[in-house]
Amino acid sequence: MAVTQLPPSPEIRKLPLYKYVDGVRWLPPFSALDRYAVIASFDSDSDTPSLEVHSVSPSKALALASAPAPLPSRVSSLKSASFAQRPVVAASTRAGSLHVMAVNPMDLSIEPAAAAAEGLHAGGASCVDLADGGSDCVSVGEDGRVNLVSLGEGRLRKARVFDANGLVSYTAAKWASPSEFATGGYGFSLHWWDRRTAGGPVSQFKCDRIQEKASGIVHSIDIHPSRKHTCLAGGSSGTIFAWDLRRQQQPIILSGVGMGEGVTSLVSESEIWEIQYDRSIKPSNVGSRMLPVMICSEDGILAVVEEGKEPVELLAEPCAINSFDFDPQKPSEVICSLEWESIAILSRP
Amino acid sequence: MPGATSDSAGGGALVPLSPETKRSPVYPLRHSVGPPVSPRVSVCWARGSSLRVSIFQQRSPPGGEGDAGGEVVEVKLNGGDGEISDAQWRRIAYGSMSPFAMLQSRRNSVSTLSRISPSPYHVDWWEFVMEYSKDINALLGGPESTPASVIEDPKTVLKKSEKPASLKAAWELMELFYVDKLSQAWLPERLVDWLADYDSLFSGSCATVHSKLVDFQNELINIQVIEDNPTYWEVIGSALAVGWLEIVVKLLHLHGSYQLDQLSSRETENGLVEAVAVLISKMPRMRLELGDGRLGECYKAKPDFIKAWEKWRSQITKLDCSAYWIQCHHLQTREGLKNLLQIMLGNTNSLSSATCHWLELYVSHFLYVRPFTVGLESMHGLAQKCIQLKPVPRSQKLMGLLLGILGENTEVVLAECSKEFGPWMVAHAIELMTAGSDEAESLLCEEQYDLGELSLQELHRLVYAQVLCSHAFTWQIAPVYLTSCMKQGMGLLEILLCKQPVQHNELLHKNLEICRLYELDDVSSHIMKIAGVHHWKHGRKGAGVFWLQQAQDEVRLHKIAQQLFASVGKSISDESFKQWEGLIELLGSESKTAGGLEFLHK
Repeated sequence: MAVTQLPPSPEIRKLPLYKYVDGVRWLPPFSALDRYAVIASFDSDSDTPSLEVHSVSPSKALALASAPAPLPSRVSSLKSASFAQRPVVAASTRAGSLHVMAVNPMDLSIEPAAAAAEGLHAGGASCVDLADGGSDCVSVGEDGRVNLVSLGEGRLRKARVFDANGLVSYTAAKWASPSEFATGGYGFSLHWWDRRTAGGPVSQFKCDRIQEKASGIVHSIDIHPSRKHTCLAGGSSGTIFAWDLRRQQQPIILSGVGMGEGVTSLVSESEIWEIQYDRSIKPSNVGSRMLPVMICSEDGILAVVEEGKEPVELLAEPCAINSFDFDPQKPSEVICSLEWESIAILSRP
Repeated sequence: MPGATSDSAGGGALVPLSPETKRSPVYPLRHSVGPPVSPRVSVCWARGSSLRVSIFQQRSPPGGEGDAGGEVVEVKLNGGDGEISDAQWRRIAYGSMSPFAMLQSRRNSVSTLSRISPSPYHVDWWEFVMEYSKDINALLGGPESTPASVIEDPKTVLKKSEKPASLKAAWELMELFYVDKLSQAWLPERLVDWLADYDSLFSGSCATVHSKLVDFQNELINIQVIEDNPTYWEVIGSALAVGWLEIVVKLLHLHGSYQLDQLSSRETENGLVEAVAVLISKMPRMRLELGDGRLGECYKAKPDFIKAWEKWRSQITKLDCSAYWIQCHHLQTREGLKNLLQIMLGNTNSLSSATCHWLELYVSHFLYVRPFTVGLESMHGLAQKCIQLKPVPRSQKLMGLLLGILGENTEVVLAECSKEFGPWMVAHAIELMTAGSDEAESLLCEEQYDLGELSLQELHRLVYAQVLCSHAFTWQIAPVYLTSCMKQGMGLLEILLCKQPVQHNELLHKNLEICRLYELDDVSSHIMKIAGVHHWKHGRKGAGVFWLQQAQDEVRLHKIAQQLFASVGKSISDESFKQWEGLIELLGSESKTAGGLEFLHK
């Protein structure tokens, strides 16, 4: 390959937290001056899981902004959105409950927006997604349940969309539109759902080429607001693929072990824990090609992967990077959670 | 619990057993099991260094109020003096893994290379260890410098800094003696610097020059005529004895004769103070370099140093015999300055009274009496002499370590490290010790019959790995240490991996990733089988089938197929067909790994 000029490396700031980070998200902007992140932490000394709001200073220092909100169980998935001009945070737990918390813009306190939805899943919820607008959540679990939870008038309304009775396990979920969402699961499978159509997924997809060697699990999916027909997925063995609803039988495979001859780049050989479209790139500049995506992995890689190009590594850590998030205001800044009880904040030039 | 009062906690006090039962402390244990106050208690080990204490009520209280119950309390045993919190220890553990792994891989490549051409690679080994040591030292505490304020307060003698950690002090001490070959010729001066950084650590167990200075600093604002104060001269003498020249000169400049309104009337006195200050700031030092703002004159070669040293001492003697002293009418100043000259001339009595503990006396001897001391043997002899002159009432952990190093007694050093600083320190410091001498290397790396053919090095790595394994956050680091153990490492690693819980998807994958890294395919498929059966048992049939397929466990898949077939046979409605669809899809088209589940396709 031709030697291309390396892009300027990002500025990285690592901050020890002295607690395990189960999840991290930027909060949607609500103040002109300050930026905030929400961290789902677990303190092993006191056995307490909690949600903490931290302010992020321009020099990328973290400071706890208010008293942490305690949770009954460790967080398995964390999302944030804006609802009625307030930042809301949805957290699903290992005990199968769902908590929707609101952050008060005045004193930055974080409190439940409604009583928690208990017992949504048997044996732990695996993923939750909060729709834009912040009132609807979809939560999925390995027990095969797909739940919709909506926030209104100080309480959570629960509705079960589907229950696979454990025959199928779901591990990832993402809204595509106010009525459609996608889920990911074992065997690199993706399902497409429409809340107007009851009784099961409207469309199913399984990446058969991926099964040539060994199968795996989808850990994270993403759908770009400008391209709602494409579902992007990342999972085991460094696998990244996209499923276009209009061309159902031909997945676009970006990376992965044993993916056949067409796939040249391999960004990681281990689990891809989170995948998101690179929000710092405008879709209009890319044309009809796949949008660039960012991933984080068990072997400590944070990288941008683009179709037909070598992946660009932004971070290569000695420990796993478990989650990351783009700052909605300034997508060149990324916050990520590291296995070794710390947070890293990257500013890309 | 009903009937629980805070008083009932007193009845449940636990007494830890120890050989000297006289001094065993009693810790109250809080529980809410109500009276009768003689509950049955069961104690066992929980994860890590915590105890699980189960307290059972013997029978329900009379009156039948509440149930006969009990409570399980976890008691965390906190070893050490709590200087470093558990979370801090974990941060050190995370950070030291990469330097350790790097050093091991370098050792492997060096030994491979040296087999081909033995000579040129062995020479630089200490430089690799030095790099490792620096990386680890950086973890143990940041540089103590606080941002310097723009306006310097003349009355701030000591820079305020956070209390340094004795772990860092111990690490630096070992680096100094065992690894840093460049400092070998300047060991005495390096010890002077080391004590300047860490003298405050001794304040807990005895008086120190540092604590004297801190006390004086606090008093300083209230003192009107500083040179009349006897403590002023005492503190200056002490600081000079341990070689903190910058502080001495700064203190001397606070002398009243420097004030503009007094300068004319106390001209001779001021001249004497200034002459002493100048002599102090020109003190010849035999060392590689002096940092910015440090006083003294630096000499690298011994002949140059001897020349300068003799000249400097003759200047002191000349000043000592000068006629100006008679014209100095301020008694305290005259006696104080004369004492400083005696210290500089190496008067043993002056040094002894100016210093507080033997290490300070030791350092003052290097500075003013025997600046040419070389070799551990003579350094050790001097140390013994100083201990006789200034015995310490209570032994201090760093002193024990230093004496072990000076006495060239590897076993003592190892024991001190283990006793005072714990398994992390031993596992990592052995790398420093083996870099230092062949004798230590043979003691630490040779397999020993009475340790079950293990070497001490491996034994201590295994111990540290066990500590890592016992915490849910650090077990993932343990494989690095276990794989560096030739004899028992891999066996223990397999046990560790097989014992990790499989309930949580992330944890399971992290576990399998370690199997992949170390190519432990058998362990990996064993774990997948456990996971498969776990999911199946908990009603997650799809996930169960998936993991058993991954593990290629034909036997269990066949059993599962029979169960499924039975349940499908009963009824298959349209509703449940949607559920089955997903499972069928998961199975895929190939029948190879389906293990009797093909029937579902029909």
